[in-house]
Amino acid sequence: MIKRLSTAALLASSVLVAACQPQATETASSQADCVPSTGGALNLYTARHYASDEAIYAAFTCATGIAVHKIEFRAPELLARLQAEGASSPADVVVIQDAGAMGEAANEGFLVPFEDATIDARVPEQWRDPQGRWFGIARRARIVAYDTQRVRPEEVDDYADLASPRFRGKVCVQTSDAVYNLTLMSALIDRWGSQRALEWARGIVANMARQPQGSDSDQIRAVAAGQCEVAITNHYYFLRMAESDDAADRAVTEHVALAFPQINGQGSHFNLSGAGLAAHAPNRENAIRFLEFLTGPQAQGIFATETNEFPTTTEATMPEDVAAYSHHAADPLPLPAYAEHRAEAQRIFEQAGWR
Amino acid sequence: MSYRLTPLRIGAILAALIAVVPLVAVLVTAAGQPGDTLTAETFWRYTRTSVALVLLVGGGTACLGGIAAWLVALHDFPGRRLFSWALVLPMAAPAFVVAYGYASLFDVAGPIRTAWRTAFGWDPPLEMRSLWGAALVMTLAFYPYVYLTLRAALISQSSSLAEAARTLGLNQRQTFMRVILPLARPALAAGMALAAMETLADYGATSYLTVQTLTTGVVRAWSVFYSAAEAARLALPLLATAAVLLWIERAGRPATSETGQARWRELPRIRLKGGWGWAATLYCLILIGLGLILPLGWLASLGWRADNELPRLIEAGRNVLIVGAVAAAFTGGLATLVALGTRQGRFLPRLLSLGYATPGAVMAIGLLAPAGIIWRAFPSTVSSFLMAITLLILAYASRLMAAALEPIDAGLQRVGRSVSAAARTLGETEAGVARRVELPIASGALFTAVLLVFIDVLKELPATMILRPFGFDTLAVMADYYAKDERLGEAAWPSILIVLIAIPAVIWLTRRVSHSRPGDRT
Repeated sequence: MIKRLSTAALLASSVLVAACQPQATETASSQADCVPSTGGALNLYTARHYASDEAIYAAFTCATGIAVHKIEFRAPELLARLQAEGASSPADVVVIQDAGAMGEAANEGFLVPFEDATIDARVPEQWRDPQGRWFGIARRARIVAYDTQRVRPEEVDDYADLASPRFRGKVCVQTSDAVYNLTLMSALIDRWGSQRALEWARGIVANMARQPQGSDSDQIRAVAAGQCEVAITNHYYFLRMAESDDAADRAVTEHVALAFPQINGQGSHFNLSGAGLAAHAPNRENAIRFLEFLTGPQAQGIFATETNEFPTTTEATMPEDVAAYSHHAADPLPLPAYAEHRAEAQRIFEQAGWR
Repeated sequence: MSYRLTPLRIGAILAALIAVVPLVAVLVTAAGQPGDTLTAETFWRYTRTSVALVLLVGGGTACLGGIAAWLVALHDFPGRRLFSWALVLPMAAPAFVVAYGYASLFDVAGPIRTAWRTAFGWDPPLEMRSLWGAALVMTLAFYPYVYLTLRAALISQSSSLAEAARTLGLNQRQTFMRVILPLARPALAAGMALAAMETLADYGATSYLTVQTLTTGVVRAWSVFYSAAEAARLALPLLATAAVLLWIERAGRPATSETGQARWRELPRIRLKGGWGWAATLYCLILIGLGLILPLGWLASLGWRADNELPRLIEAGRNVLIVGAVAAAFTGGLATLVALGTRQGRFLPRLLSLGYATPGAVMAIGLLAPAGIIWRAFPSTVSSFLMAITLLILAYASRLMAAALEPIDAGLQRVGRSVSAAARTLGETEAGVARRVELPIASGALFTAVLLVFIDVLKELPATMILRPFGFDTLAVMADYYAKDERLGEAAWPSILIVLIAIPAVIWLTRRVSHSRPGDRT
């Protein structure tokens, strides 16, 4: 019986090999319809998982003949896997949609600095790591969605407003371990100092319409449903609902609008999707071509069209609904601050009772 | 008795090692460098929430599943034969899928509360993203554990004791309360222990419902502070609790008895008349409706309106079918070795069961460490597809060994020790007895084990996520990604596929349990 079982297992695993191996090459070749896949391959570890990214990989393979092999992780798992693989890691490029996690990857030595004139020319200095280990490829604003019938936009033009008694019992927001809350708090710690940041968090907790729960889209829906007047959210969820095929989602955005509050009058809080060269990249040349491609007009345009993110480069074309908000200034937070203040941000949230 | 290392025992030890290594790795990780972590106050809040949730789900499953088992095993009513297996169907839906359905259905902007507000002008307190909501969702997802164990105990109970009680003057109700129920109590406790373990280790449903437990806390410690050591340390109380629950579950097993079969007669079923019969029917219908049809139906309606990536879905489905089948066969084989090699000892099986009750995120930490050793030792294999799949299958085996071990162990128990001993005196070797006597008798249990592992691989997330090779998706991974990206409609497709694949397996399992008991002829 044991023998039979192990034979079965062997048989099954050979089926597996037969079934999965050709598939892998098939995908690679179908992506390379436009150019024969002669450019070798590229191994990508990404924490992003959007249709926009698939379109970008396809366009890259088309343009260069380089096949993109990817594994999608959540950020902590991505970092843990890089850690476990050490110098044997097959990863060439690392992409994470959180500047805090990118900074952590850089600080752990998972990324290696590289000089590239093309990227430096396209991406403004504000969105590049000072040590050249990673740079931003797309931006997302953490801002406010408000009920247009009950809130005037000038009432929410500063993050501090959200903690004021004006909004007692009127604020909806996610839990404190949502990474975008953590980076917002990191920014406030950096700009305001820990004490004021803590008071702000206490003010928000006092203003909460309900215990933190659900996703950003759920916060926007709660505003529309009248449970709260303002919600802290990333901008693209609102845009996605506004252009949704689902009539119910579109209806939600009828009486809700976005406001871009400021920190110290200098700009709104943006988080970044970042990309960097893996420390032990086996396909370094291909990796750098890919990283350059991510900052090119085509890829930047796809981010804006498919995911409604803001480009990090200056010359990308955006769809109208994204372009309408793209003039809002960004708070000039130095990139290393995103990772630097994360632990303190979580502690402040806990101290304030923000679940 | 002297302990000799026979080939079978060596095989058992090697097989067991696969399951033990990640647990050891968790302990070693926990002993690592302290880092930033959650405050003690937060830790205690998580602990309180975990305790409350486990108590609520334990009580909830005991009531819902217990009543269902009592109705089906001891009464006759319209649809009883159908319900006897249909009541287990919610087991095919992973708890996180049920949570998606309920959270969205009862959202403040969802259909039910919106309609209510329109009709009555106020918002009903029906929040699923709360302790009570999570308790409800998990009770509906996990009641089949209580139902299955309790029903099995009731239909295998002989009527002789109950009849004796009746002759001694107890009425029907007294007989149930004082004879039948006490005899079935260990089974009830075992079912509740299983439900409690699942509740304790759950991450998907609790985190989606924003309930902050020790298990979600482990993930938070890991994802916010990047400290595997702190996460592993937070997991230690969970491991200890799981050990206690496992002990309860094991103690609830009926001891192998050599008596009673000849005089055995099933308990008589009471015919429920008229309204009472239909009430029983309605109860079972509501349970299945709330546990499976309502959440799945709502998800299906969301999915209908959303896009789907059909080729990707098909590929992910095919991946999980193939890998699930291989992993199930491999794990079943390993568990058989362990069960055969440890028929005298009880320690090893208990130790292995701990892996099953450990939260997935913690096991992922434990799996990564040994995988890392292999990767660093053989750098050329890191990007190899086969290597990654092999590691993944080993990971499934170590996580799910206990799920396979339980039924195989129980199946082997039915082979009396005297039977094996007789075969030995007739000149068979230990391996020969296993091959020619024990395994043929326990072959049904073996298949049950393989199916159980397969169903679990379908739902598995953390190990898959962290160890998979390039370009390899499973349905659970896809569902999770879409849900995290706040696209519930798209998440509905892989979720429903998981359930559709699991349903035939669950039905087969239930029928097998029925047939293995002397008293059930449905």
